Amino acid sequence: MIAVDERTIAAPMSVVPEVAPPPVVEARGLEKRYGRHLALDRLDLTIPRASVGLLGANGAGKTTLLRLLLGLAKPSAGQASVLGFDTRHQGIKIRERVGYMPESDCLPPGTTAADFVGHMAEMSGLPSRAARQRAADVLYQVGLDEERYRLIKGFSTGMKQRVKLAQAIVHDPDLVFLDEPTNGMDPQGREDMLDLIARIHRNLGIAVVVSSHILEDIERVCQHVVILSGGRLVVSQPIGDLGDDGGNLLVRLDGDPGPFVARLTAAGLHVRPSEDDDVWGELVIRRDGDHVYDAIRDAAADLDLPLRSLRSRSRSLEDVYLGNVGVENGTGGASDGAV
Amino acid sequence: MALSEAPIGQPARYGEVFDRGYKHYDGPQLGRGAAAWALVRYSAKRALGIKKSWTAKIIPILLYVAAAFPVILVVGITAFAPNAEVWDYADFFIFTFVIEGLFVATIAPEMVCGDRRENVLPLYFSRAITRLDYLLAKLVATALLTLTISFIPAFLLWLFLQLLADAPLSAMGDNLDDLARVAVAGGLIALYLGAIGLMISSFTGRKSVAVAVIVVAFLITQALGVALFEAVDRGSAYHDYLVFLSAGQTTIGLVGALWPDSDIDLSELALWTYVAVMLVVVAICCLVMLWRYVPDE
Repeated sequence: MIAVDERTIAAPMSVVPEVAPPPVVEARGLEKRYGRHLALDRLDLTIPRASVGLLGANGAGKTTLLRLLLGLAKPSAGQASVLGFDTRHQGIKIRERVGYMPESDCLPPGTTAADFVGHMAEMSGLPSRAARQRAADVLYQVGLDEERYRLIKGFSTGMKQRVKLAQAIVHDPDLVFLDEPTNGMDPQGREDMLDLIARIHRNLGIAVVVSSHILEDIERVCQHVVILSGGRLVVSQPIGDLGDDGGNLLVRLDGDPGPFVARLTAAGLHVRPSEDDDVWGELVIRRDGDHVYDAIRDAAADLDLPLRSLRSRSRSLEDVYLGNVGVENGTGGASDGAV
Repeated sequence: MALSEAPIGQPARYGEVFDRGYKHYDGPQLGRGAAAWALVRYSAKRALGIKKSWTAKIIPILLYVAAAFPVILVVGITAFAPNAEVWDYADFFIFTFVIEGLFVATIAPEMVCGDRRENVLPLYFSRAITRLDYLLAKLVATALLTLTISFIPAFLLWLFLQLLADAPLSAMGDNLDDLARVAVAGGLIALYLGAIGLMISSFTGRKSVAVAVIVVAFLITQALGVALFEAVDRGSAYHDYLVFLSAGQTTIGLVGALWPDSDIDLSELALWTYVAVMLVVVAICCLVMLWRYVPDE
């Protein structure tokens, strides 16, 4: 007889609407002061159960936010909860169910990976035997199965980052905070680490908050992005929603675009040259309605100008970051991908 | 290579590779007390050099041998010459104080300096313990280890002396008060020296610096304490309290108060005075350590 899990067959037939899982972090009016310095400024924030990128320049308040969320520091004002626990009074409960991978080098060199990760499991309350078993399992998961009995002092930077990741997930947390997880890693190591982080949420079902200043890393592994600047929240939204910049179209033509621009401008459309230096002659046209498409088609046909491309303009995370933080900081220049 | 799911209830083929997958942990989580106790055990092992190179083990081993030596000597002499004048418990504790001081200077820096120097503290404080739990765990680990050198050799001395008696069982019953004194002296000295050693170690991440400062602090305060004790008129009201200027004098005074019939004639202070002062010193050391580990808010 084949046992059938009722949940398995019930789900597709159910007519009950899908309920979004509760958020892992909620903050209301969260504020943190160090003397006169305001590190976090009345933060209202909801972080969904997903892989979430926490972006911001140095001093934006990322580490302060993580410390408050772990219950390691008290907010000056406001309140926050993690997994439903109040950060001000239930820090221990939070830390039992949350993993943390710090940015800094924090591994004792004279210990083996298995010993250290096992010890960290015990520090989360796991019994000794279970801790050793879990340490072996997670070190296998992060690709250090063979090296687990080697001293950490002989490890490369990438291997140390993996040990840090292993200790963060060894107690099977519901949420893990990763602070600059690709710091100091070579390109291949960085790729591997990003794959691991993506897998932690996708395969292991653990919510992930990645604090980083590398936009590409966040864009690659995260579903949701939170951007801080000067201690204030400037963006919190799904990365998929960032692509729509409000309805601009990009148009490329062969030949002189001058008459084409004049014709569209006369028709009441907003037209300007693209800021992308790589695509000469590309125009940005604001999409105020469907009639814009007709106007573009008719203008191109009447002026006998071949229309090479017509597409919606999508914004990258870098565009969004610079559009918000660049303005906040009074800068809007080009970025090399790191902020 | 393609990986296969591990079959249930079927023997595996030799050399077959299985995808171990990821299993969620559904066992017990024992909470804060278990986490703190895990830190006690781990710290004690590391301080003794367990799972470290032999160079890390050599000094603790030598100190244990040194602490066992007078036990063997006294028991040996008593066995072959029952009427010979050998050390009493007070002499024993005075001799082993030097070994206990060196032992604390060895293990206390191992307890806390590495965590600070290697930046492990953020990891500990992100687990299911508080900063106070961390400090108490370190203090308990230090005191328990020091107890193995301040109490166990003295206990073995007591036990062997009873076994050498004509009627060992009745001798044990008759000398239970000595055992209680040994326990009080061993426990208090372990806690007192351990707290001082940890407090000094909490100021630096460098073990060698901490070791040197602890040894020098014990030596300087001992020299200063003895000099002042001798210089001040014995009849003055505060003369006896000068014993508390050094850990060595305090320990000798405590032992003298526990065994009033011994040759120790340091001060007239009552036993409870020593106990109270030593516990106050422990409390002050804990407060200083707590201040050292309070986050910069």
